[in-house]
Amino acid sequence: MISLPGLNLAAPPTETLSVPTSSITREQDLPANTEYRFEVSFSRTLTVRLRSGTAEYFGTELAPSTTYSFQGTKGAIYTWHGCKLELGGQVESDYVAEETPMMSHANLHFALEMLRDRSVVSNSVEMGPRVLVVGAENAGKTALVKTLTSYAVKSGRQPMVINLDPRQGLLSVPGSLSAAAFSSIVDIEEGWGSSPISGPSPVPVKMPLVYHYGLKDPEEGKLFKPLVTRMALAVTSRLEEDKASKQAGFVIDSSGTISAGKAGVYENIEHIVSEFSVNVLITIGSERLYSDLSRKFSNRSSDETVNVIRIDKSGGCVDRSEEYMKALRHSQIREYFFGHGEDALAPSSMTADFGDLNIFRVIENDESGFAAGDAEDYNPASTGVSIYERITPSSTLTNKLLAITTASPNDKHEVIRDSSVRGYIYVADVDEAKRKVRLLSPQPGHFPGSAMVLGSWPEDVAGLVS
Amino acid sequence: MSLPAAEVAADFRDALQDLRMNSRPEISNLTLIAKENTEYAQAISTELENHIRTTRPEWKLPSLYVLDSIVKNVGTPYTVYLGRNLYRTFMDAYLVVDQATRKAMEGLLRTWKQSVPESMETRPVFPANVTGDIENAVNKIRTVAAQTQVPRPMHALPARPPSNVAWRDTSTPPQNLPRYPAPNDPRRPAGFPPTPQYGASMPVATPPMPFQQQFNSPQPMSSVDLADLKAELAQLVATTQTSFAHNPADRDIQTKLQALLSLKQILDTQTLPPQQLEAVRKQVRSLAPTPAPLPAFAPPTPLQGFPQHGIPPGFPPVGALPASAPPNIAQLLAGFRPPVQTTPQPAPTPQPPTFNLADLLKRVSSPTQSSSVPAPAPFQPPPFTGFPPPITTPVPAPAAAVPPAAANPTANLAALLAQFNKPGAVPPPVPATPVQPMATPQLPPQSASSGPAPGSAEWLLAALGGTSRGTPANGTPFAAQPMARQISAPTNVLNDIEFTTASMKKPRLHLISRLYEVKPNICATCGRRFENTPEGKEKKARHMDWHFKVKDPDAAKRGVHRSWYMSEKDWIDYREVDETTPATNAATTNSVAKPKRQAKDRYVLVPQDPALQHAPCPICQEKFETQWNVDANDFVWMDALQVGGKIYHATCFEEYSKGAGIPMPSTPDSVLGKRKAENGVGVEGKKVRSF
Repeated sequence: MISLPGLNLAAPPTETLSVPTSSITREQDLPANTEYRFEVSFSRTLTVRLRSGTAEYFGTELAPSTTYSFQGTKGAIYTWHGCKLELGGQVESDYVAEETPMMSHANLHFALEMLRDRSVVSNSVEMGPRVLVVGAENAGKTALVKTLTSYAVKSGRQPMVINLDPRQGLLSVPGSLSAAAFSSIVDIEEGWGSSPISGPSPVPVKMPLVYHYGLKDPEEGKLFKPLVTRMALAVTSRLEEDKASKQAGFVIDSSGTISAGKAGVYENIEHIVSEFSVNVLITIGSERLYSDLSRKFSNRSSDETVNVIRIDKSGGCVDRSEEYMKALRHSQIREYFFGHGEDALAPSSMTADFGDLNIFRVIENDESGFAAGDAEDYNPASTGVSIYERITPSSTLTNKLLAITTASPNDKHEVIRDSSVRGYIYVADVDEAKRKVRLLSPQPGHFPGSAMVLGSWPEDVAGLVS
Repeated sequence: MSLPAAEVAADFRDALQDLRMNSRPEISNLTLIAKENTEYAQAISTELENHIRTTRPEWKLPSLYVLDSIVKNVGTPYTVYLGRNLYRTFMDAYLVVDQATRKAMEGLLRTWKQSVPESMETRPVFPANVTGDIENAVNKIRTVAAQTQVPRPMHALPARPPSNVAWRDTSTPPQNLPRYPAPNDPRRPAGFPPTPQYGASMPVATPPMPFQQQFNSPQPMSSVDLADLKAELAQLVATTQTSFAHNPADRDIQTKLQALLSLKQILDTQTLPPQQLEAVRKQVRSLAPTPAPLPAFAPPTPLQGFPQHGIPPGFPPVGALPASAPPNIAQLLAGFRPPVQTTPQPAPTPQPPTFNLADLLKRVSSPTQSSSVPAPAPFQPPPFTGFPPPITTPVPAPAAAVPPAAANPTANLAALLAQFNKPGAVPPPVPATPVQPMATPQLPPQSASSGPAPGSAEWLLAALGGTSRGTPANGTPFAAQPMARQISAPTNVLNDIEFTTASMKKPRLHLISRLYEVKPNICATCGRRFENTPEGKEKKARHMDWHFKVKDPDAAKRGVHRSWYMSEKDWIDYREVDETTPATNAATTNSVAKPKRQAKDRYVLVPQDPALQHAPCPICQEKFETQWNVDANDFVWMDALQVGGKIYHATCFEEYSKGAGIPMPSTPDSVLGKRKAENGVGVEGKKVRSF
């Protein structure tokens, strides 16, 4: 495995378009309890500065002397007390909304605080609240999870956030499932913040535990549920020892597809609830989902009560087009390698022999496999299922993302599946004749010779290295 | 690179906060800050004005000296910024300070009319029209003070000694902020917003309450002078802080301090009706360690035939006579309390009323209930004697309030009262499960179904009263209640939030202060908030240090890259590090304990020599990992060791040297240390190479 320092990719492609075309700023007055909603495309930048009053972006307070810039964002800045914002740059659309579900979000936070206090009182014998947020696509799940996290951090807690939605990453790339404890503020500009980098970071980095899932939606077969089980195990082990996090509990973000259910049965939700011992289940929007789930969990015994709550969907939730989501995923992947904004990272370009790569591709069930029903049920005792197929690199690999696991290539498939991820490398080019692969690695030097997993998700990212 | 204005202002404010006496070094230090940051003169000036306005009267003079020093030693632009509001700054202070300070301030004013001594400048420090207006006002006050031995209010200008003679022009409605609109201020800018930045936050406009009318009827409430009250409160806060410092483990003091601070905040930010102010004042007095004007306690005369509503005709006007006021209020308020003990205390000693504010507030905060309670049958004429039990023994019962079952979302005062509550900061003192409101037979209905606000008010009062609730006298039926009240104070207001869909929709704006006002000290760079306590300040200082450390402009150029994620096991063992925790703790929790920690912790700066830069470890042939090291403030190779011009993995070398019997270089990996290592172990270095 040779690293070619000379080929070091300099900086991320300069984004000339992102520079605000003019420095003209305008002022936006927000009355108390209103929200400024905006959509900015990826080619434009909106800058926001708080002039007076208080304002928060999904629960994280805007600092008075910092100018924030947003790009490729659909967001909302809420104010409890009223504020004056100084806006610069261009947006696709923006307006001020008076009706927001923020009161419910805040109430939810305070209700959780009550449980956290209880955990503190019990000297961490009782665990803090275990929250799962479910709801259809674009219902505002992640926004709520973020708000709850920010408020908890603000209240001096150290909540754990768990992302079980492979469509968007948390502190990692799409296709991954991750968990991290938040003891420092949630980044405003950069999604959830940044995972560790080798240099200083203006916002404290978060330490995620990452597993690779590699498919677009949680299926009900051999991959999603075992990973949930595995993650629940890791999280629970951590919380056993980590008092601060145990008291704060955790919030789980989920994929919209698990809320669709099959004839009123929500297998994945039930699985998550039981694995993580969820005791607060928040449904956003759908009355039906709420009714189905509250019926389902109403007859639990008292020691494992699940409080099912419905929160209204915010009027600010917009349907995000497939195109936008794709751009969002690409920017997440780009950020993983190149960093965000001014905090540029220098990934390393290198070439590797075919023989150096131990690539396992996820075998996806065809449609009939899903229909098989009972036979597909997850059975932890089963062995010898082939989850992956080992492949040799070919040109089809180009533009794919490979997850570097901690498992050895000779391990069983289940071990590879359950092992956490060290990081991702990107296949820039495959030379089949010379049997060489050009790779983009987040850091220089060799990468672990462990098993690498290739999934169909996230989709190809063309032009990451041009 | 200069710090942003807000940061400078915050630093300046912190420095000001410590200024409590006329200390030359401190004042010159502050002047220096102002001098070096003239580009932020406006922010600094505002900070200084705010400080002079809000600090305790006895600390106002030193701050004014700072102002004086700045305008004389730095001059413009400070004279411009400070001159604009000088009238208010000066007069507001003048009105609340004692006679000696006034003399000093007058002396200060005289020097402002002249030019700075020993300077080329011939113009006066402040323009004549600025100082002239102030002088006029000062003269008026002095004249009035001289004419009338008893201080009389002249407009809103009280000239009075700090003794708390109740006075008020009764027609004056409760004033808005600012509380001391200096009379006829000719210089106040027209559009100057007097309210602080959270102006719109709380609905202050309390609807007319039946309660107020009751009180207003017999005789105008002799009102509290807000400034005196605040001064008293500040005094009390200070003493409590001191005793807290001596006794940090004492939950009582902590709770009390919290309550006092909240109360102070309310007084600073809200406009309370005079009745409430009166109650607050009584409360504060009663808590003062040596309550000078403590009214003598009237002999216990159980009021028979006390009507449930309104004030009995013969009821002495509340507050008319300071001596009788507290018991009267107590009596009055007793009407809204569960009938307590029917056995009078034997030998009642003078006792400060401890309940009145709670009840008063409780009453106010649930107007619908109190006004519509239809004279419950079990309601007994409450003899007030027993109800403020002696405060002699502090009982560790911070006495949380009754968790209310049904909130009254429309009660505006709820929001206001909720501010009495300092959330979350104090861990609950007693591990106790939250208890639902105890609807004992004796309790009148309003106790059973009171709103959240009474809860917080009660809590506040209980905390202020400190002590009283826990010791009910003589095993009365009331005895059951203290148990219920012992639930943890910080949680109580949250207890009404049930995990139901409907409960989530109820507006509870009063809770929002837990996210904002409770931690008033905001980091201007990232928005993180800190409490306004010594501990909070320390945390913020460390936080700012951290900001400074990571703000390395060169970092971006040096090839920072994404690190690998943690492995599952490391992640489970990992504990988050907060940059605000003291460094020693951070160091121990930062890295996961590993057996080879010592060797692993060694590092060398990334070498400049390109050949060396790309050379792998001679032992394992693997490359070094470049990392940012905060201590070195540079990029380093961790787990590395330079021996004889070669860099090895420290762990590799350790393993190897053990086998070969070579001692590990013991020098630290500083630049100097590296040199020594080069010179000293050079020969062995060759050996290693040949190995």
